[in-house]
Amino acid sequence: MEKLIDLSPVERPANAQPWAKIQPRLKGVIALSSVLPAVIALAFLLISGNEFMGVLFTVFLPLQILAGGFAGFYGFGRRGILDGLLLVVTYFFATFVLVLLVSVLWSVIENGGKAISPHFFYQNNVYVDPTAPLEIGGVGHAIIGSFLIVGLATVITVPLGIATAVYITETQGKSRGLIRSLLQAMSGLPSVVAGLFIYALLIASGITQYAGFAGSLALIPLMLPTVSRVAEEALRLVPKELRNGALALGAPAWRAFLQVTLPAASSGIVTAVLLGVARVIGETAPLILTTFSANNTNLNIFEGGMSTLPTYLYNYVTMGFDTSLQRAWGAALVILILVGVLFAAARFATRSTPAPKAKKRK
Amino acid sequence: MTAEAPYQATPRRKLVVKPSTVPDKVFFGIATAAAYSAIVITSAILIFLVLRAWPAFESQGLLNFIFGSGWDTSLDPIVLHIGPMLWGSFLVATIGVIFAVPMAISIAYFIEFIAPKALAKSATILVDLLAAIPSVVIGLWGVSLFSTVAAGWAQELNSVLGWLPLFSNNAGNFLRSPFIAGLVVAVMIVPIIASITREIFSQMDQEIIKASLALGGNRESTFRKVILPTAAGGVVGGVLLGLGRALGETVAIFFVLNLVYDDFNFYQILEPKGGAVASLILAKFGEATPAEIAGLMAAGVVLFVATLIINAIASYIVAKAQPWRN
Repeated sequence: MEKLIDLSPVERPANAQPWAKIQPRLKGVIALSSVLPAVIALAFLLISGNEFMGVLFTVFLPLQILAGGFAGFYGFGRRGILDGLLLVVTYFFATFVLVLLVSVLWSVIENGGKAISPHFFYQNNVYVDPTAPLEIGGVGHAIIGSFLIVGLATVITVPLGIATAVYITETQGKSRGLIRSLLQAMSGLPSVVAGLFIYALLIASGITQYAGFAGSLALIPLMLPTVSRVAEEALRLVPKELRNGALALGAPAWRAFLQVTLPAASSGIVTAVLLGVARVIGETAPLILTTFSANNTNLNIFEGGMSTLPTYLYNYVTMGFDTSLQRAWGAALVILILVGVLFAAARFATRSTPAPKAKKRK
Repeated sequence: MTAEAPYQATPRRKLVVKPSTVPDKVFFGIATAAAYSAIVITSAILIFLVLRAWPAFESQGLLNFIFGSGWDTSLDPIVLHIGPMLWGSFLVATIGVIFAVPMAISIAYFIEFIAPKALAKSATILVDLLAAIPSVVIGLWGVSLFSTVAAGWAQELNSVLGWLPLFSNNAGNFLRSPFIAGLVVAVMIVPIIASITREIFSQMDQEIIKASLALGGNRESTFRKVILPTAAGGVVGGVLLGLGRALGETVAIFFVLNLVYDDFNFYQILEPKGGAVASLILAKFGEATPAEIAGLMAAGVVLFVATLIINAIASYIVAKAQPWRN
């Protein structure tokens, strides 16, 4: 009689039991396959004396891919080969990019650390020429300038951004989608264009001279998308029941917002402000086009030249002396410290959220 | 018994969706006004830039301005064409994106699916922090440390693959090339793309991944057939955002790229010759004549429109990819 159904067992895949213990032998193969290519590549590097990057990409990577594929094949059969490759490639690229990024951080910390001293923070730049030793002069005036310019931008942008977020989350306005996509598009506005805009609007038309507040105005379109997007996110996380409860108890909408929704979202709003400030504190191009750098400390934001940390950094890089580069590194470290502090504060603010975070997805 | 008349509730106040009281009207009015300020700002940017740029467009001709080459104010009539700059912007941004995308996706995949929790958490913080590093700092790193290292890589690439026109170099000098500028831009946008991609990965439906594994899928097939297709929209959106950032990058590219105004460099990425619209604006702004300023404004308009288009596409794709957000 003809056999209708083939009842012979299918071949059982080797990785059919992912919960099973990894055999010691396989462990050995994995360890070997992750060490051997590195050893061979290192030996090749030392013997042939080729460039590191060349060896990394022409010797180490192919070997490591082969080894990863072999380990996968050994452990899990044919289906394991691609798994091994995926892991190798992922680890390789992730390590590569982390090394690059950490090298940015490290170089700033190392070189900036040499330039920084207490007086670097409070002295200004009067009587300091680019080749002067680092014993005198500092970025005090630029720190003050940065705080003033970014501060004014923040004072204008934050209410605007939060109100925009309110429009998107709390009202039934018709153009919410349009505003959202517009803000999304604005977040990609080239910063130099923002500077050109203020230049065209205020300075070229003779309304004002180069001054700090022009720089603040140029930062607004750059800061607004960040603030309103994060604030929107924060307001969205407030449970609907809270504001509906307030409205049901008879509170008018503005009261429900100010006394219920806003306090519940306060940590998110703080995060929005901090991230907005972090976004613009290092902006250089718009400030170069709208402010005039100065060596002295200037407290008047409406008149006269005013240096900021990024423009100070830019000026000293373009001068091109060794000492001026060192000062630039110092300024870079100060900017990095500021950004780091803002970030830490933002994380702290998010962590101390009293309300439980609702799941984002419905 | 007569039938009772049906009870009719008399509403004590009008039930309306619109705000009725004055303070509420003020509240919603403020919110609406603020929201429309975004429209006002964007259109004001366009209007004022176009207004100031008009003389340049008029004297040079729109197509000539965008596609012609040469930027010289000593000639009469002056020549203000941004063709090489615009092409250079796209070239540098493309190089940056080509380098950045695999790295960003790898690191996002590593953080979300491979790394142990503690490591993933600190790597997330690191990536988010690096996304906030100002570009001028990366430019400083690029010009004083990375350029020489990358020039070594470029030289090696040239010595091995120099017979390809793509990697040829006749200048004998490997510094300040689009290749290096592209790498610096890549370092700048990797954290941006990575943090968006990671977020998309983390918000993915865990069930479909588990389902794929339960059906006998391995890591690789799950990644290729389930994770990537599901997240593709968001990832593409993130990449386009990175591309927009790369196009608008000013200071860092100005530091590490040799701007050549009168000659296109179409694909020889190792030649020390390239361009970028934003850097052109920065380079020429200092001692510009009024006519030249108009040209720079026009360059700004072109740049703005280009990034606006890319960002509009990006936000459309991201919104499509995250239907749960609305």
